[in-house]
This record gives sequence, structure tokens and C-alpha cells, in this order.
Amino acid sequence: MLKLHKWKIALLGIATNIALIANLGAGDVKTWAEINWLDVFSEGGLATLAVVWLMLILHSRPSGRVTQLLSLGLSCIALAGFQDVLDEFIALPEVVVWDHWIESGFMPIGLILLTIGIYHWHREQLIISEQLRKRERLFREHRDLNFTTNLSGANYLRKQLQHELAMHQSESAPLALLLIDVDNFSQINRRYGNSEGDRLLQSLGELLLLNIRRNDLLCHYAGDRFAVVMPTTGKLMAETLAQEIANAVRHFAFKTYNQGESVFHTVSIGVALSVSDNQTVDTPEALITRANKALLHAKEKSQCAIHLAA
Amino acid sequence: MNTTLSPDNYMPGSFYEIDTPFIAAHQWPAALIDLALGRGQEEHKLLRGTGIFYADILSGNLTVSPQQCFQLIENARKHHNANELAFLLGHRLFPGNYAAAGNALVNATNLQDALDSLTSYKILLVPLLNPRIIYEQERLVIYWQGTGANEATQLFLLEMMATALGALSRWLGGEALPWQFYFTCTQPAHTEQYEVHLDGEVHFNAAANAMAIAREHLHRPWKNTSPSARVIAQRAAEQQLAELQLQQGFLAETYTYLHNNIHSNPNLEKTAEDFGMSSASFKRKLKKHNSHFQEQYDSVRKDLAIYWLSHEGWTNEQVAQKLHFYDAANLRRAFKKWTGALPSKINKHC
Repeated sequence: MLKLHKWKIALLGIATNIALIANLGAGDVKTWAEINWLDVFSEGGLATLAVVWLMLILHSRPSGRVTQLLSLGLSCIALAGFQDVLDEFIALPEVVVWDHWIESGFMPIGLILLTIGIYHWHREQLIISEQLRKRERLFREHRDLNFTTNLSGANYLRKQLQHELAMHQSESAPLALLLIDVDNFSQINRRYGNSEGDRLLQSLGELLLLNIRRNDLLCHYAGDRFAVVMPTTGKLMAETLAQEIANAVRHFAFKTYNQGESVFHTVSIGVALSVSDNQTVDTPEALITRANKALLHAKEKSQCAIHLAA
Repeated sequence: MNTTLSPDNYMPGSFYEIDTPFIAAHQWPAALIDLALGRGQEEHKLLRGTGIFYADILSGNLTVSPQQCFQLIENARKHHNANELAFLLGHRLFPGNYAAAGNALVNATNLQDALDSLTSYKILLVPLLNPRIIYEQERLVIYWQGTGANEATQLFLLEMMATALGALSRWLGGEALPWQFYFTCTQPAHTEQYEVHLDGEVHFNAAANAMAIAREHLHRPWKNTSPSARVIAQRAAEQQLAELQLQQGFLAETYTYLHNNIHSNPNLEKTAEDFGMSSASFKRKLKKHNSHFQEQYDSVRKDLAIYWLSHEGWTNEQVAQKLHFYDAANLRRAFKKWTGALPSKINKHC
């Protein structure tokens, strides 16, 4: 990402160099004894950290208005900090006032720009969260994202179920968990290669996202198995939705990368509902186990079957 | 020095050590490297400390040691997405890039054939684990022995092999077989991988690392394999083995030695002598493989005790005597230490 921002970085480099030259031209370098090292460290630290933040932000963001604001703000702060450090090494005569302007002028300007930037970042994040809604709910954990599908894994699913089950307990509404397994997945790996298998999983992930409701959550459980958490969903609704998903997958003509050949697949689905009586608290593990058992039953029945846990 | 031996004494053969470079880097190690790189891992982090350079692998004649492979696994496991790696690698392991030995394996005419190939060519196909195949009444059990890896790396290898053999038998046989998988570890956090990638039942806290299949599945014909291709591949693989001049790993050879000589109650000194080295050297070698004499001796006695108690139906007294325990009470205490359960609690399941 840094390539996109090379002008911003170059500009900051030029500005600091101009400041350095101006300082050297106007003032005299201090002797070792005159330098206060504590000040150098604390003021230099601020300038260095501002640059580090700037680099992290530039490295992780595409160009755009929010990035401009954030980087301009941090650049001003870095520049003010840099002038502050230079003061420790170079003694400027009293008549020079511009150094004071750099120091005290750029800092508040930088902070204001940064604040505006962060505000817009927040607005932007709300929109992105809405887009991610079916992929994550309530909390975020990037380390649990599956590399192929960019969906959260089983760990995230368990944590999420923990939250949801507690909520559903108090509302005494059932929650449905679907485990969706691709039939004969190993065949596509053997026939078309492992990267085709990965591409299929990725495409299926997208397809599933299109076929679930706004409040449902899709996770990549493991291997060729996906999980869908359906809050406040009863038996009939869960079965209907599962059938819709199975139909969608069956009609999905996956195209291979090289030949563009259409490959069709089916899925088996295991459905489990949370236990809704007030005596026992359902655990994520128990719910997942029931869904897994239901899935095994579905697989035994036939391909493309749906089984509801007893 | 006493060199006279009783005729039925087993003498150690040639073995490879943890630092013997004999594993073709373009086979198993390259598969792991490609998989990890394909899952977003960085090359320099993955190969750090392994002494392997990616460019050298492509030459096709680089060989690496088990130690280097273990380091590779350890590096790969550090990545936050690493839980599925062992399983994914297991799916890709066979046919893979194993030349003759791999061809012999995937042209087996039934599961029994395949497992025969697996054990015959084990140092080509599974150089980092030692498979021991035992027939127990109505089932066949493959016990997995370590070759000097630490516990986490060992688990990676076990997960990989369980997946690989499950996937192989499913692919060639055309249906998922009801394998039983046994792991000595407590249930790991990533159980979902076991549920999805292993066909059959998975047991944790088991007495041994193993997988078992009912005998009725051993001789069901595999239709799409080629018996003649198998014969040719077997010949080539035998040739390759003869060139390597290695039988099995050091720990496996120690185990075999102790197992076969249990009747003479071998101690460290006697074992070292038969291996042709001093006790100190032998100890050092065991240490290099993350083990020590008592551990090896106990693992042999544990396996024998379980086998005799559960499959031969021997009494505690008989077993205690055969294993050179003072009495049955001592055996019970030791057994409890090895397996976490008393001999009376052991049933025939691993």
C-alpha cells in the first residue's frame, strides 16, 4: 500500500529537510554539554511515533479523503515534533520567530486535522461494518479469519454462540445453527487441483452470504464445512432456509479457472436448534455437536440431504 | 567383554538419526512449504533456522534431515492460521511427489496392500513417524511411534498421517471407511479440524497414538488401481531402499531392540554395547532424539502389557513376570503411571 502514498511521504521528507536546513542556516549547533538528553528523547519520541503511526496508516489504507486527513494531521504533528528536537541541538537567535511557529502552530493544526480524520474514519467504519455484517457480529478477531474464504473460523463461531445463546436464554427464543458440508469435496481437489478447491470454497462462501438474512452469521467451520448462525429462528424457518441454501448451491455453476468448465456441487446440511427451556443452559459445544451429528445423519441419508437434530 | 549371545537375541541394524540428511526435500518438505506459502506464510519466516533454501529444493536432489523437517513444522505452526495445515497437507500427501514408493502405494489393489507398502517403504513415505502394524483379533491397528520430535510437532505429524491414510483409503476405495483414531493428547482446542477432516471416530487421552480399522475392510478390492504398475513401482522402490541402506530411525530401532529382547531384561549398558557404543554415547544419542532410556524401555513395556492383558488375556501376575516386575502390585503401579488407568480398566481399545 505504501506505493500509493509515495508523494505524501516524499512531501514530509522535503518539509523536514527544509526545516533542518533553515535551522542550520539561521542558528548555531550547540556543544555536547548544552544538550538536554531527556528533552531529546521525549520530544524526539513524539516525532518518531508520529512517523510510525503515519506509516502504519498509510500501509493499511487505500488513498482517499480519510487517508489524506489522517496523514496530513500526523505529518503536521511529526513536523512540529521534529522542530522541537532540532531546538535541542541548534541554538537559534532571538530574532528568529518562525521556529516557534512551526512548533506551536503545526501541533494544534495537526491535532485538529487528525481529529477530523478520525471522525470520518469512524463514519467509514460504520459503513464497512454494515458490509461485513453477515461475516461478523458483536466482536472482531482478525487472527481467526480463514485465509481462503476470509470468513471467521470455528473459534469465532464458539465465542459468538456463547454470546448469542446467553441472549437467547433471556429472550427464550430459539437459535438455529446450520452446518453445511460440500459433498465429495475431495474429488474436485483430486481432479482439478488444490487451488481449484480453494477457489470453490471461496465462491461458495460468497454464494452463502447472498443466501442468508441480514442478521445471520456465516463462518468457515473447517475444511469444506461452513456454519450459519441464525438468531431467533425456529424449526420451520431453519429448515426452509436450509433448503433454500441447498437449492442455491445445487444450481450454482462453478467455473474452473483454466477451462471455464461448469462444475456442479451439492451440500448436506445438519441443523440444530438451541434448547429453549429455562432449566438448562445450552453450550456452544453441545449445539455444535448436535449439528455435527445431524450432518452425519444427512450424509448417511443421501447427498444433498438436510437433517434436523432431534 | 562378553560377546556370546543367545541365538534368539535381536541385534540392531542400520538406522538413521535425527540429523541424518536422507529425506528428499522436493517431496514431503516441498509440499509443506508450498502449502504454507499458499496460505499466506512468508518464506523467510517459514525457512528460518531450517538451513533449507527454497532455490535448492528446486534442484531436485537436496536431502534434509528429520531435525530440519521438525524445525520447518515448528515454524509453520507459529502462523496464526496453522491449525488446518497438518490436515490439508494430509489430504495432499498421497499420491504426492514420492516417485516409486508413492506409485506402489496408490496402485495397491486393496487396503492391506497399501498398508504393506506403507510399512515396507516407510522411510521413503513417512520418514518422520514410525508405523507399527499389529493385528488384534478382528482389527488391524497402526501404532505411530515418534522419531524425536517434540510433542507439538509430533501431533502435527499424527494429524497429517491420520488424514492422509483416511483420505487415501476413501479415494481408492470409493467410500469413507470407519477408522478409529487414537491420540494420547488431551482434546485440543481445534477439534473442528478433527471432525471435518477425519472420517470415523476420534478418541483423545488414549493409551497410544494409533489408528485402527476392522479387518473386513482390508481385502475389499480397489478397482481403479493397476497391479502391473504396482509391481514395477515396487521394484524401483526396493532399489531405492537398497541404495539408502537404512532400515528405520534410531528410536524405532531402539524400540525394536528392546521389544524383541524383553526376555533378557536389557539394561542401558547391554543395549549400548549391542548398538556398538559406550553407555555415555548411547545416552547422548537418546538425548539428541528428545528421549532417554527409561522412556523407551517403559514405552515398550507399556505396549507389551496392554497387548498381553487385553489381547492375550494374560493375568497381571504373568505380565509382571514377563516384564521383570517384582510382583503384580508393582506392575499395577507402573501401569497406572504409563496409561493413567489400572490394568483392570484397560479394554481392548488402545
